[in-house]
Amino acid sequence: MSGENYKGFGDPELVGLCLKGDSRAWEALILRYRRLIYSIPVKFNFPTADASDVFQAVCLKLIEHLHELKDESKVSAWLITTTTRQCIHVRAQRMRESSQEDDFEEPADVGVNVEDIQIRTQEQQNIRNAVDKLPDRCRRLLELLYFETTNPTYEQIGKTMNMPVASIGPTRARCLDKLRTVFRQKGIQ
Amino acid sequence: MRHVNAEKLMEYRDGQLTEESKAMIDSHLSHCGDCSKMRQELQEFLIWLESDSTFEPPADVLQWGMNLFQPLLQPTASVDGKVRKIVASLVFDTFDEPALAGVRRVGAPPRQLLFRAGDVDVDVKIESVESNERISLVGQVLSTSEKFFDNTPVKLESHGMVRYKTMTNFVGEFVFDEVPKDTYHLSVDLPEGQITLFCVHRGNS
Repeated sequence: MSGENYKGFGDPELVGLCLKGDSRAWEALILRYRRLIYSIPVKFNFPTADASDVFQAVCLKLIEHLHELKDESKVSAWLITTTTRQCIHVRAQRMRESSQEDDFEEPADVGVNVEDIQIRTQEQQNIRNAVDKLPDRCRRLLELLYFETTNPTYEQIGKTMNMPVASIGPTRARCLDKLRTVFRQKGIQ
Repeated sequence: MRHVNAEKLMEYRDGQLTEESKAMIDSHLSHCGDCSKMRQELQEFLIWLESDSTFEPPADVLQWGMNLFQPLLQPTASVDGKVRKIVASLVFDTFDEPALAGVRRVGAPPRQLLFRAGDVDVDVKIESVESNERISLVGQVLSTSEKFFDNTPVKLESHGMVRYKTMTNFVGEFVFDEVPKDTYHLSVDLPEGQITLFCVHRGNS
C-alpha cells in the first residue's frame, strides 16, 4: 500500500497534502486511523455490516471536513467524536426500526460506556502512533508480539524477524525503552 | 550500583533473574527514583500493548475508504485547459438529522443532500428501490443568481469510470432512474468548472 511511505508524516502534514490532492496522503491517513475508526462501532457491539457502514460514513465525513482539520493536530480526537456520534446515531436508528412503540423517544442509554470507549480508543491510538514512529525492526517486533492476531510463538517471530529466539527478550526491552522516548518526545507522558 | 537498564528491568519483571540479582535491583529501586519511574513506565506500556483491543476493518471496506479520495481533486484533463474542478461541501444530509419524535419508519426514507460550491447549490435526493436493489437519484442545480443551469451535463462515476450521463432540463433538474446501488461521485459540468460531489449509497439508509 503506497500510503505506507507517509508513515513519518504528522497529521497536519497529511491533511495539508490531501488538500493539495495527494491521494497517497489520504491513504496514509486512513491506514493510520483505520483501527481507531473501526474499533469504536465494534465496541458498541455492532455487527460487521453496521461497523463497516460506520467506517464508510466516517471516511466520507473526514473527506468532507478535511479543510476544517487543516490546522488541527488532533485529527484522532475529531475522529473519535465523529465516530462515536455516528455509532449513537446508528444505534438509535436500529432501535427505532425495531421499536413497537408508537411514542418512541431517543434512547438515553446506548448500552455501552461511551466515555470509556473514547478514552481507551485514544490511549490505544497513542500507543499505535508511537509504535509507528519506532525504527522498522522495533516496530515490526512489537507488532508481532502484541498486535498480531495469530499470536505467533517466539520461534515463529524469530524466523520472521531473522533473529535468534534468545535475542527477542532483550530486543523487546530495548524497543520498549525507545517507545518510552517517543512518548516523552510527543509529550504524552 | 549503577542505574538499571530496560533490559534488566524486563528480566526482573519476567522473573528471569537470580535471587542475588533480584535483591540488588530491589535495593536499587528502593532509593532510585529514576529507575523506579522507568520500571513503572515500562510496566504501563506492557499493559497497554498486551490489552490492545483494536480491530482491523474488513479488507474491502478499508480499500473502499482508501480509494475514496482517488477520483476527487485529481487534476482534470481538458482540451482547452480551462476546466476547473470544484469540490462541493456537503451542507445538509438527512442521514445526519434525528428522526422526528413519534415517527416510525417504514422502509428506507429518501436521503436528501445539499451541496454547495461557491454560489452554486446542488440539491440531491436519493431514494432506495428495495424491490430491485436499485436507487433513484433526483437533483437540481441551483444558483443564488436568477439563472437556471439548463442543458448542463451531469455524470455519475463509480470505480473511476463514468457510468451514467444525463443533462439538466430547463430548470436545472436531472434524474438518474433506478441505477444499481453503488458508491458514486456526481459531477456537474458548469462553465465555471466541474463540481464533484460525494453521493454514496449507504446500505442501511
